[in-house]
Amino acid sequence: MRQPLESFFKPRSVAIIGASSIRHKAGNDVIQNIIANNYSGEIYPVNPKGGEILGYKVYPSAGDLPPGIDLAVIILPAKLNPQAVRDCAAKGIKAMVIAAGGFSEVDGEGQLLQAELERAIKETGIRVLGPNTSGHTSTPFNFTSSFFPLGRIPRGHISYIAQTGNFATHTMRYIATVENFGVARVVGLGNKIDIDENDVLEYYASDPETKAIFVYLESLKRPQRFIEIARKTTRHKPIIMLKGGSTADGSRAAGAHTAALASDDRIIEGALKKAGIVRIYKYSHLILAAKGLSAMPLPRGSRVSFLAPSGAMLVSMTDMCRKFWNLEVPTLEEKSRKRLQEISPPYIRMRNPVDIWPSAMVHGIDFAYQEGMEAVLSDPNIDAVVTILMITDETGIPDLQRIVDVVRKYPEKPVYVTFSAEKKHMETAREFLETRGVPTFPMIEEPFEVLSILAQCRKYMDRP
Amino acid sequence: MTKEIDDIINKARSRNRQTLSEYESARLMTSQGIPMAKGILAQNFANVKNAADEIGYPVVLKACSPEVSHKTESGLVAVNLGNEADLAAAFQKINKAYPVEQGGFLVQEMVKGERELVIGMIRDPQFGPCVMFGLGGIFTEIRGDVTFRPAPLSESDAREMIGEIKGRKILDAVRGLPAVDLDSLILCLLATSRIGLEHEEIQAVDVNPMIVQGSQPIGVDALVILR
Repeated sequence: MRQPLESFFKPRSVAIIGASSIRHKAGNDVIQNIIANNYSGEIYPVNPKGGEILGYKVYPSAGDLPPGIDLAVIILPAKLNPQAVRDCAAKGIKAMVIAAGGFSEVDGEGQLLQAELERAIKETGIRVLGPNTSGHTSTPFNFTSSFFPLGRIPRGHISYIAQTGNFATHTMRYIATVENFGVARVVGLGNKIDIDENDVLEYYASDPETKAIFVYLESLKRPQRFIEIARKTTRHKPIIMLKGGSTADGSRAAGAHTAALASDDRIIEGALKKAGIVRIYKYSHLILAAKGLSAMPLPRGSRVSFLAPSGAMLVSMTDMCRKFWNLEVPTLEEKSRKRLQEISPPYIRMRNPVDIWPSAMVHGIDFAYQEGMEAVLSDPNIDAVVTILMITDETGIPDLQRIVDVVRKYPEKPVYVTFSAEKKHMETAREFLETRGVPTFPMIEEPFEVLSILAQCRKYMDRP
Repeated sequence: MTKEIDDIINKARSRNRQTLSEYESARLMTSQGIPMAKGILAQNFANVKNAADEIGYPVVLKACSPEVSHKTESGLVAVNLGNEADLAAAFQKINKAYPVEQGGFLVQEMVKGERELVIGMIRDPQFGPCVMFGLGGIFTEIRGDVTFRPAPLSESDAREMIGEIKGRKILDAVRGLPAVDLDSLILCLLATSRIGLEHEEIQAVDVNPMIVQGSQPIGVDALVILR
């Protein structure tokens, strides 16, 4: 008996209802995407015109399909979907992705149509993702149902649950072209007519390909069960969530303090805390924190060291660690401090965080950063390190391989790099480091913001 | 334990009431193990006087009726009454100010403490019964230093809640005061969680304030709203 969502994430065969031979049409782009991802299963395009699309035989209708196909991706105008669902179900297809919008999210007529679709689903007993979804992705199975041209989707261990079409469209394009990390599973929930965030979360929780779960939701379909599933999951996998939008305040009993204070947002905040979900508020953190987790481990604690070429950076970041990021900037053990002192001129008293400029000026940029990073990474009081890399022609270009080597010596401690550098060196460093598993961030606060999020994930994971 | 709560609730329902009186609410809390100030309900001055003798001065005197709320603002509460003369004067005042025909008087032990907390429960349409904890007193809503968790609560949930309020340092040994007994506080939160889970007829609960006397939190006012 297959797991209910197995046919979505590991479809051995897929029918494309509404396939098209015309380039740039959704019914064509979806097939292009599937091919581009090296899918090794069977593809069955369906279109009344028949013929051939991209080398695949086209069936004139769902009724002409062979039995036993795992998944149908339906790209048809809204009102044709209820019948399409019935036709596919009659052929034994048990899982469907419905792309069309124009259901309950638009107007009253759309609501009626959604109700009709619901009836079709109930009568046939099939599982449906959508409607109004831009699709889903499963890189370990080389599959996607996205109809936005994406090409080969980079594979990794981060999985997304999204109540938005973004992650199957332009956001995935961004990740694929700008970032150097990959995804495992991505689901755009659409209108959640059947499959909801709970179903997907349960799948991700026991999915060995998923090491961290990122969620964007505006509403919860079955809130209490969501919290239950998440609470169990966050003991071994981080869940990071952006809760979008403010819901309308429900009517509350008058007269009680508790009622007056219980705004939706406060209650949701408490529920997410109970669940061990780390709540984020910045949209970009859905990408940045994923980047931080993709190649580096979760920090073991909140104790941070950082190296910067400027006293102002040290002061500002330390302030922020204490005021906003809930990160400790601890004293180093004497052995590490002595080492930092050894590599620096005597006029500066070395400590945490590390002013690496004097050492760089006396011993060179290479030596300074490598030895400085080694000193703090080897300190048992430190859980994570941020390196603010200064790279200009005048001050020197560090040997990036040596930085990678130092980082690799301490695989249980995340190291992030950010820059104070000129453009060409920054881009070179970024490319070099990221392709070797060291995440870099363009803005100096970003690695700390990410560590703040991940340190909280660790706190939840370590709950008694 | 729960039978007593059921009786109190059924009695209120049979009279079409949506709120319990302070006395009834306090009894409900006590039956669940939440420490409340000792209180005796009395109908006339003779009984009030006997109640004060039984509890021991100083006492608090309040108008007590399901129809009466916002007692402080309406001059229906007199605190720290040290002797019979003060009690009598307070009784006169409250009697005169009493807004409804029928009602009782609650004679309560005077609980003294500088720190005021709040514990509550609200039945949320999405998450079901949720427990609230935070800084209490008359400025509870203005300060808004409270936190919520959906029931059921574990001990570690309760511990996390307590550590989460902005004013958490107030629970430490500060300004010559002893640290608040956190185990006692945790038990109160767990009890509140149980009330929400076991009594679907209850929509909301307030215990405000819980005055910390020495190290012990003791509720001196309670409100229960039915669905």
